[in-house]
Order: sequence, then structure tokens, then C-alpha cells
Amino acid sequence: MIAWHDSPVVIGGRTILHRVAFRAKAGELVALVGPNGAGKSTLLRALAGLLPGAPKQDSRRVAWLPQGARCAWGLTVAEVAALGRIPHGDADPAPVERALAACGLLELRDSRIDRLSGGQARRAMLARVLAGEPAVLLLDEPTADLDPAAAHEVMALLRVRARAGACVVVVLHDLGLALQHATRMVVLADGRITADATPGDALPAAAAAFGLPYGLDKRPRLLPPVR
Amino acid sequence: MRAALAVLVLALLGLALLVGATGFGVPEAAILWELRLPRALLAALIGGGLGLSGAVLQGAVRNPLADPALLGIGGAAGLGVVLAFYWGLGLAFAPALPLAGLVGAALGCCVLFAFAGRAPSAPSLILAGVGLSALASAMQVLALAFAPNPYALAEVTFWLMGGLADRAPLHVALAAPPILLGGAIMLRLGRGLDALALGEETAASLGVPVGRTLALAAAGVALVVGAATAVGGGIGFVGLVVPHLLRPFLGERPSALLAGSARGGAALLLAADLVARAAPLLLPLSQEPPLGVLTALLGAPFLVRIARRMAP
Amino acid sequence: MPRDGHPLSGPARWKKFFCFFLFTKRSAFFLLAFPAQAAPDIVSLNLCTDQYLLALAPERAAAVTFLARDPDLSVMAATAAGIPTVRADAEAVLALRPALVLAAPWGARATLDALVRRGVAVERITPPTDFAGIRATFRHLGARLGASDRAEALLAQMDDAPRAAQGAAIALEPRGLTAGPGSLRDAVLRAAGLANAGDGRQLSLEALARTPATLLVLAPPPAYPARATEFLAHPVLAHHPRREIPPRLTICGGPWTADAVALLAR
Repeated sequence: MIAWHDSPVVIGGRTILHRVAFRAKAGELVALVGPNGAGKSTLLRALAGLLPGAPKQDSRRVAWLPQGARCAWGLTVAEVAALGRIPHGDADPAPVERALAACGLLELRDSRIDRLSGGQARRAMLARVLAGEPAVLLLDEPTADLDPAAAHEVMALLRVRARAGACVVVVLHDLGLALQHATRMVVLADGRITADATPGDALPAAAAAFGLPYGLDKRPRLLPPVR
Repeated sequence: MRAALAVLVLALLGLALLVGATGFGVPEAAILWELRLPRALLAALIGGGLGLSGAVLQGAVRNPLADPALLGIGGAAGLGVVLAFYWGLGLAFAPALPLAGLVGAALGCCVLFAFAGRAPSAPSLILAGVGLSALASAMQVLALAFAPNPYALAEVTFWLMGGLADRAPLHVALAAPPILLGGAIMLRLGRGLDALALGEETAASLGVPVGRTLALAAAGVALVVGAATAVGGGIGFVGLVVPHLLRPFLGERPSALLAGSARGGAALLLAADLVARAAPLLLPLSQEPPLGVLTALLGAPFLVRIARRMAP
Repeated sequence: MPRDGHPLSGPARWKKFFCFFLFTKRSAFFLLAFPAQAAPDIVSLNLCTDQYLLALAPERAAAVTFLARDPDLSVMAATAAGIPTVRADAEAVLALRPALVLAAPWGARATLDALVRRGVAVERITPPTDFAGIRATFRHLGARLGASDRAEALLAQMDDAPRAAQGAAIALEPRGLTAGPGSLRDAVLRAAGLANAGDGRQLSLEALARTPATLLVLAPPPAYPARATEFLAHPVLAHHPRREIPPRLTICGGPWTADAVALLAR
């Protein structure tokens, strides 16, 4: 489990996060949603212990995947995944193999990551996170660049992890993915948590945060704006 | 591959003892021990240190164009050495020269890493290096204008071209400790540099002490470049060329390149110095081609090649 | 220069300036037309011609280079101390209104071309590289400067030094360059009876290490730290005999160069 309830986060004179209380338990798959600039990535960094002054996290227990993660060198997929073992200080091949298999990368293991498609590279980055077998996974938009099928695959993978006892927090832009896969949805707007409930119950707040029309109806029709 | 490089270094070291200004073959003892051996050892030490420094710098700033000389660290070290030399510190206390080179190189590294911390693009990093080089050379010229030796500027022009001719055992004693210490520091940075491939924040999330890793990288590079500049003058491009040549064989992982780059750098500089020594024997030259000029002749096309490959 | 309270201002000041300009032009003309015998009217722009001028006709030296005042480089440093110095700058030289400008065959091309265009006589003197050349140069310059007697007197002091020394020697210059055949230092070594082991190329410490009896002919060590002479501290040179010759005796060949031979032959 992982939690953040601390003083506001102010960067460059702007309050990115107000005093928010967030916690996620083992077995949960929490979707963090909200418009750009709402403070989702900052909250994830805070949870990962990466903000200056925040308490450091145990890197063997907590893994973090940044938005648009990339690798400076042309490492092979297997080498990238093996970087996930750095916190453990070992080169245990078994967890790396499991991570590659889980991400469907066994055939690409010797391909250079800078020669893969965006989606393949994204999966290799995810394999790096899984290879450390962390109890807490903090993932910032792991489904960006992925086609819908691949995005669902990644979310399914994370759901399996959560069911196996991991605590997964995912920043998502796709509300559909959140509805379908998350066990809980936390809506952030302007640095505040405006909803924290099951995805279905939090959806109105999420739609409001995005300024989107919202409605649940069987028949397709134009929906009046909320408010 | 690494074993092959080690064998190559040993072979070149042996060959270096057999070539000198008086010709090819085994010379008498005084020439062997006091001229050829110090020179061969310095080429291996400086080349190895510079090759390793290049691999470490490239890993630290995540940029294949990084090279101690290209990024101005060599120039900053040269400024320190020039100041110490022409103000007589080197005459009073010989280790003052590598120490002054170390201080200059360390300052250069600090400026550069402070800039690189903001993850600059390759061109802006290189421009920062160009700026640092220009600043260092301008300050050298300014300092030399006040030096008591009226020929200081002319001398330094030659010295900046690099060279290991006529070095004595004393120079090995001056250069070896800082280069070996810096090398030992840098060889232990592999894991941290691997993690840095994913960016400084991700490296921190992997439990890598990023600040400490960069500080140790700067310290290692400064120890090597400071001592190398104090003894060999301006020898550039070794750190650029060697990791680039080795990546197809050893892979792109920064940790996989460290030991190989040290050996490859030693082999490269030994070979270049052999060319410098053999050239006056084979060609009608009035003096040896400067070593730094030879490495630049080799390295400049590589710079163009890497830059072109990086261009989108 | 104090500006306020100037007696002339505005147009009056300009008029005065132009009058001054015309006046100087005219007087320059007269100076060129009727050179006064003892007036300082010769400018030298090279260390060697500085010394030749100061040795032969110091009273005619209008200006020399600042190098002539350096006692390490110039045998005429004491005389030069009382002579103005000038850089190779056409404007500065023209302001001295010289009848003759002495220079080396190399360098200052643009300056000398400008002087020639303004009608100034320029003579380029090639510094001699042997003793016959020294005699020829001094006789030529003595005639040109109207000081033939002084030239002969100076050359007469140049006694033919005995070839008293023996063996091989090598004249070392900074950065390990050696004096090869055809150079003044080669002539000095041979005049002293020594065989020049230098070939004009950069010194090879290895070759020198094999001939430990070779005499090293050097300049006295400089008072300041110098990279160019660091190689002299190399241990393989520790046992070579050394003889120091002040560089001012051999930088520019002159009657004084015989003193260098005497120092070696001693």
C-alpha cells in the first residue's frame, strides 16, 4: 500500500497539488484521471518519493514509470528489462524472463529498443518495471502510443498484477480504459481530488473535470452538458 | 572482445619499446628505461584514462558526442596547468601541475553537469562545451599575457597540440596515481550509468544516488583529464572515438563499455604515438607530428559521422 | 589634455590644425631633400638591424624596436635605452619622418609597402649566417650609413678565434630544435673547432643518449618557467657536458658573434 497526505506541492510559485490525501491498498488498480495540468503526474512523483523533500521510497518495493519514458541508448529489450533489477543489485534472469513473457516481448528480446515501434518500446519500459517485481507500481500513462487492443492488453496485465496482490496506480487519459479495468478512480482537477470512488461512481466528476457531456443511457443521443 | 583488446594493448606496449627516434629494435638500457618505457606507459595510461572518461561522460550526460576535450574539460584543465606552470608552482612542487589540472577539469565538469542536469539536446550540450572551451582558451591567453615568460603563448600553442616525446620516469610518477585513482572510481559507476540511461528521475526511482554518481563521474574524469593534460598536453577525441568504435561489439549499455573503453583508449593512443614516433623515421619530417594532431585527424571525421547519424 | 579654457575654439581651432598639418608636410619635404648629417633620421624595425644601426651610427637612430632594449636579446641594449622605440606601424614610422627604414627580409610586409608608397627609402637586410657574411653586411651597412670607418674598426676587433675546442657539439634551441648546417650557430661551432652534430631538425633525446660526450651548447636557463626548455632536465642528459652561450651573441650575426666562438674555444 502507498499513501500521500502532506503539505501542498508548490513548484515555481504555482501550487501544483493542494493538501490532498491519497492512499492505495494492495490488490487495488487505481486510475488517476483528470485534465492536463491537474497534478496527476506530480501526485505520482510524490508517491514515488521523487519530489524534493519527500520521503524516499524503498526502490525494491515501489517502481515508477514516467510519462513518455525513453532510453538514451540503443539497449536491447532484454537489457532494458534487466535494468529493473538494479534496486535488487542482482542479475536474476528469472524475473526478467517473466516480465518479458508477460509483456509479450520474448521474440523481441534481442531487438534494440530505439528500433522498435512506439508501442513495442512502451511495453519494453513496462517490462523494466515488472522485472523488479515491486509491490507498488506507479505508472504514468503506460497506454499512450498503444493501439486500443494493446492498451487493453496492458491494462489486463496490470489487473492480473493487482489481483496477485500488487498495488497499482495508473495515470490514464482514456476514461473508457479506466471504467473497464480500474477498481477505483480518483479524479484530480486543479491540484485537488474531486472524486474518489468506484470508476462508475466517479465518472460524473471525471466528466466534469474534463468539461465533457456525461450521461448513462442505453440509446445514443446528444447529451446535455452537466452543471 | 575485452580479452582481445587487452592482448592488443600488451602487444602495442611491447612494440612501443622497439620504436624510437634512433630507429627500430631493442635499444640500450638507458634509452629503454628512461625514454621508451615512460613514453609507452604514459600513452597507455593517458589513452586508457581518456577512453574511460569518454565512456563515463557519455553515460553521465546521455550523449554520444561527449568527450572531455570536446566539452571543454580538457581546456579547463589546460587553464589550470598553464596558470600553475607559468607562475612557477610546477618548479617549486612538481605535483602542483596535475593538481592544478585536476582543479581546472573539476570546475569544467561542474559547469557542464550543472548544464547537462537540465537534459539538454545534443547540439546545446556541444554548444555549451564550445563555450567552455572558448572561455578556457581565452583565459589561457589572457593569463599568458601577464606571464613572466614572453614566449609563453608560443610554447603553449605547441603544448596544446599534445605529445609524449621525451617524457621522463618522473612524469609517469606524476600522472599514474591520479589516472589510476580516477579510473578505479569510474569503473565502479557502471550500474548508476546504466540506470541514468532512463533519465535522472527514473534512475533515482531505481534507488541510484544520482547526485553522487554524477559527482563521482566528474571526480574521475577530472582526475584523469587533469593529470593527462599536465603531462601530455591537449590530446582530444580519444574519449569520443573509442566508445563509438566499441558499441557495435560490446553493446550500448554504458556499463558494458567501461572496461573495454579503457583498453581501447590505451590501444588507440599507443598506436597513435607509435605513428608519431615512426613518422620522422619513414618520412622527411623535421619533427614528430604532435600526438593531439594525430588523434584529432582521426577523431574529427568520427565527430561528423556521429553528428550526422544523430540528425533526424 | 585639458579641454576647457582652450584659447582657440570652433573654426579658429581647425584653422590652426590645418596650418600645423601644412607646416609639417613642408618640413618633412625639406628634411628629405636636405638630410642633416647628424640628425636621427633612420628607423629600424627588426632586432638585428636595430643592433647594426646602433653599433654603426647610433647618432642617426631615430627609433628602434623595443626588443633592442632587452639585454638578453640585444648586445646594444645599453645604447638602445636612450633611443625611442617604435612598432612596425606605417603611421608611427611616418611620424618620425625617416630618411631610411631598415628591416629584415621577412615580416612587416604591409607596413613596408605603405612606407615605400609614401616615398620612404626601405632597405631590407638579411642577417648573416657566417663570418664572411658578417663582414660583408657590416661593410655594406657602413657605406650606406656613412660609417665605413666604424664598420672596419668593429670588424677588426673580430679576431680569428683559434680552433681550440675538439669533439662533437650540438647547439640547442628551445623546444629541442638544433642548429643545422648553414646556420649562424653552426658557423660558430665550426669556428671553435667543434663538429656540429645537429642537423636542423628537432633533437632526438635517444640519439643524444647514445653519444654522452656530445657537448650541449645552450642558452643560460631562463629566469621564468618555460615549457620549451623542460626537456633539458631529462635524466638521459644528466651527464652530458654543457656550455652556456648568451643568446644575444648568436641571435643576430655581428662582430660580437666572435665572442661566442671565444667562449666555446676557451
